[in-house]
Amino acid sequence: MRLMADFPWVLWLLPLALLPLAASSQRVTPLSSIAASPVDGLSRLIGWGLRLAGILAIGGLVVALSGPYRQGETITRTGIGAQVSILVDRSGSMNETFAGRQPSGAEESKAAASRRLLGEFVGSRAHDQFAVSAFSTAPMLVVPMTDRHEAVRAAIAAIDRPGLDYTNVARGLGMALSQFGTGAANVSRALLIVSDGAAVIDPRVQGTLRAEFARIRPNLYWLFLRTKGSPSISDKPSGEDTPQAAPERHLDLFFKSLGTPYRAFEAEGAEAVADAIGQIERLERDPIPYIEQRPRRDLAGWAYGLSLLGLILLVAGKLAEADLGRNRGRSQTSRTGVPTTPQRRLAA
Amino acid sequence: MTVPETTPQEPTPDIVYRPRGRVPGTVAGAHRGRDAGGLGTFRDQVPFLRMPDARRIDVRATLRDPFEGTYVRRFESRTALEVWALVDLSASMRFSGEADRMALVSAFCGCLAASATRIGDAFGLIGCDAAVREDVFLPASRRRSIAGEVVSRLADAACTGDRADGMGQAARRLVGRPKIVFLVSDFRWPEAFLARTFASLSRHDLVPVVLADSAEEDGLPDWGLMELDDLEGAGRRVVFMRPSLRRRWIAREAERAETLRRIASTYGRPPFRLAGRFDPDAISRHLLAQ
Repeated sequence: MRLMADFPWVLWLLPLALLPLAASSQRVTPLSSIAASPVDGLSRLIGWGLRLAGILAIGGLVVALSGPYRQGETITRTGIGAQVSILVDRSGSMNETFAGRQPSGAEESKAAASRRLLGEFVGSRAHDQFAVSAFSTAPMLVVPMTDRHEAVRAAIAAIDRPGLDYTNVARGLGMALSQFGTGAANVSRALLIVSDGAAVIDPRVQGTLRAEFARIRPNLYWLFLRTKGSPSISDKPSGEDTPQAAPERHLDLFFKSLGTPYRAFEAEGAEAVADAIGQIERLERDPIPYIEQRPRRDLAGWAYGLSLLGLILLVAGKLAEADLGRNRGRSQTSRTGVPTTPQRRLAA
Repeated sequence: MTVPETTPQEPTPDIVYRPRGRVPGTVAGAHRGRDAGGLGTFRDQVPFLRMPDARRIDVRATLRDPFEGTYVRRFESRTALEVWALVDLSASMRFSGEADRMALVSAFCGCLAASATRIGDAFGLIGCDAAVREDVFLPASRRRSIAGEVVSRLADAACTGDRADGMGQAARRLVGRPKIVFLVSDFRWPEAFLARTFASLSRHDLVPVVLADSAEEDGLPDWGLMELDDLEGAGRRVVFMRPSLRRRWIAREAERAETLRRIASTYGRPPFRLAGRFDPDAISRHLLAQ
């Protein structure tokens, strides 16, 4: 926490706060010998209290006039969570239901189902960080790695917009990986791919991706939204076993060959998607440093408040002032003041 | 200050004092002398050979003596003495509560000087703070004008010292025959110093005059905050007055007064308390009651 002031030169006046040690606001009663008054602990306490109140009043005002504030700052803390980079397929087929049709009535498209479930996933833990990227033909950066869950939810809310074109998973992967940045290595990182199909990864790109995966070493989760009737990840095609014929299977093989922890979830319905996301949530539990933003805060009010407290004490002390001889002086003038004159005359 | 107190328009009564015992000295005055002389009140009869004064032969006593001795009457001589006022001029005497302390002192000393010179006694004034103050020193004199001088000297005297150590030196100026010494102070002294001062002046007829102020005792408020400032520079202190503290304070003052009375009675007369208003008759009563 760093304290700053708008007008630091005003703080040069702070030694004025020591004035109450030298002078007092109370009316001074001269006494022939101070030793006449008995030593009294409570009086001493009140004396020091008044002096302190004076220091507080002057010091508080000076500090308040200098315009103090606490500087805004970013604090790194540690919580439980993970860095999750979500890569969403925005190809046209995501608009279809799990049955491979255009959604109608109560039916839900794959994109809408994943939006609902991912949205819940994002809000569930406070210190998770998310990045959202989408891909179809070209990758799109939706939200960079952030802990602002509002923004991430908004980004996820947008993934059921009608998708378009094809599935170019390689470039999407590259972008999703680049979201992790160069943070601390001990952070749990997860790359969550949500897609309903796959595409061939160019062997030339494969090398780069492998290097990236080896460097970042994320936990890789593939949420495969399988349309009913379409081939599974593990299905061997009846014909030629080439990437072109069975892209899903070969993407799976590619992921397995990366050497990073990898799990694939084949979901054929919304419940299966929820299951898969629940599993991911359970797996990714590691300490994560997160950044907290603290805004600049004006402290002048506090300083004014403190000086007000001091001033109230001083005013109370002022109101409680008493005079020597006031107790008797009034009664004596009424009692003996009148008869003195005749007595003098008599004596004269 | 209170010069009107001594103006002829409103004459104040004299302070009547009487020395203890018989006063030695040769100057004719108003007090009973130690020496026997030819005039005055009858004192005793002595054999002629002890005082061969044929004019005072007591015929009756001579005839009455079976051994046929001759007796002479002796009479008490009236002697003048010196009255001194020893005034503490430390800063605490600047206190002004119900009455201004220095005004009281000035009125008292002026009246005392007038009373002393009126009956032929000499009056001298010594002011002391840390040392004897030469500007407030008046050697003993019998001239009548000394009363006005005393008042003006005391009116001009600034009370600044924070000690009264000059009292010891003042005792050294009061040499010679015993005198009546009025020790005028508020006696806010340490007990040891009090005893030392009284001891050094004990060969004189010592009358302590305590300047008190009801503001410092009964006039203390029941409740409230007071910031006390010591006139002798012993610092400041905030005091939260409440009935219990007030009782303690007054008890302390009473105890202090008792200590002073005890020491003063050991070496001289009990102290006279001069507070609020200067009343010469009260002082006379106090002095004659001893």
